[in-house]
Amino acid sequence: MKNVLKLLLGVVTSFAGFIEVGSLSTSAQAGSAFGFQLLWAIALAAMGVAVLAEMAGRLAALSRHTVAAAIREHFGVHFYSVPFVAEALLDVLVLASEIGGIAIAVRLLTGTALLWWVLPAALLVWVLLWRGTFGMIENGVSLLGLVSLCFVVAVFRLHPHWSDVAHGLLPTLPTHHHARYGFIAVSILGATISPYLLNFYASGAVEEKWSEKDLVTNRLVSGLGMGFGSTISMAVLVTSALVLRPRGIAVESYEQAALMLTPALGRWGLVLFAASLGVGCFGAALEIALNFAYTVAQAAGWNWSEDLVPRQDARFSLVYTVVVGVAALVILSGIDPLRLTLLSMALTVIVLPIVVFPFLVLLNDEAYVGPHTNTRVGNAVIVLIVGAGFLMALVVVPLQILGGQ
Amino acid sequence: MDLVRQVLDEQVLDRREEYMGKVDGIVLEMRDDGPPRVAFLEIGAPALARRFSPLLGDWIAALARHLGVSDGEPLRVPPARVLEWDVDIKLDLDARDTSAMAWEHWVEDRIVRRIPGSGASSGKSTKGGK
Repeated sequence: MKNVLKLLLGVVTSFAGFIEVGSLSTSAQAGSAFGFQLLWAIALAAMGVAVLAEMAGRLAALSRHTVAAAIREHFGVHFYSVPFVAEALLDVLVLASEIGGIAIAVRLLTGTALLWWVLPAALLVWVLLWRGTFGMIENGVSLLGLVSLCFVVAVFRLHPHWSDVAHGLLPTLPTHHHARYGFIAVSILGATISPYLLNFYASGAVEEKWSEKDLVTNRLVSGLGMGFGSTISMAVLVTSALVLRPRGIAVESYEQAALMLTPALGRWGLVLFAASLGVGCFGAALEIALNFAYTVAQAAGWNWSEDLVPRQDARFSLVYTVVVGVAALVILSGIDPLRLTLLSMALTVIVLPIVVFPFLVLLNDEAYVGPHTNTRVGNAVIVLIVGAGFLMALVVVPLQILGGQ
Repeated sequence: MDLVRQVLDEQVLDRREEYMGKVDGIVLEMRDDGPPRVAFLEIGAPALARRFSPLLGDWIAALARHLGVSDGEPLRVPPARVLEWDVDIKLDLDARDTSAMAWEHWVEDRIVRRIPGSGASSGKSTKGGK
């Protein structure tokens, strides 16, 4: 019984943290611009992230090594410096987007200016990291994150034609705006398959002292968790397609996106949208800041654990303190949070191969995972999704930037 | 043993199995009467930085001296002090007695300790690491 509870908690943990500023804004844009047509991108990305999370958990459970530590040790520091710097820069941009997301959620509820809420949001993130434990952060944020199920409720209240929805799961080309379609597909991929998730998931497994006997749990948690998580992203897309698209509302700001729950949920719609956004971004901000500190500490070989008081791992604690501050400054510089989010999601896809491919090498090395090396199917799925996403991003990101929107 | 694949950049533990850094450098001793042998393993930011750029390494060493963190040189450990050459390299030392923890202690004393809530906590543990 205890194991079932542990498993359930694990699943809730991984899917409730799924909805954050990236997945919410990319799904909302996809639905408002192309109806159900981009649902396949969410399904594909969810499959990719589920497979990658399973691998990260397996690496950690069997080798007691996290992704960052193992890559430096295996490939050497010269090689590792490239994915390290890329991921660190990306983490700062995405963390800034998430802190912006929290501030936007408060603005939606209060109508006050965004910039007022950036520092309080960053401070709250930092206080929880400084005082909280890994379990407290994971479980607390996940349970609060259940509020994002309101999107699933909204879909059922809007009575979509299910055959049309199902049709969206098959990739098709649009009749118009090909570059925009490709850009949103790439952004969905980047919002779902975040590099930080790999090392965060592995670090969590080490924090919770997983071993070989946890491999089954790992498979279930990664598969079910990411599967349920993508259901919520899909619900956002479907709601947006049913509510915003017929009214000709293109999501160019969060205020526009926030209206999507109102037809289904009435005056609670805006509150629930803001709550989902705020809680999701808060959870993601905690995870990204922690992951940044994990990555630096593990690459340098320092002692690290979110379960220690800051004095016991001073350098680790200083790193997340500094990165939360830097990310807050990025948002305070006045950059538009929605544009920053979409840009970081697309950049993620360009950075993914240099983070993911060395990771795949480790998962095929018996020195790390013993007899539990990757299957050919597992390798092929990841190479195809990450490779295809990268090539597509190379084409559509410049087009999008040149096009100005 | 393959020094680059199996020693360089590997995790270093002290005898209490506390993390004390990575093998950031290896110093070889050239001998007339035989092949070169390992004189020291180096642990510390200056050794790591010198592999990218000697200038950067010197700058980090100078910073450490300027701030009073340490003498600026990486910790040098002779191979005789190695207890286990495994995936992790375990040393017959206590990290707290070495300069490997100089930056950790400096950050703790000068920055972290001065921020409220850095010590006792309701949920967090006060001892033991990974």
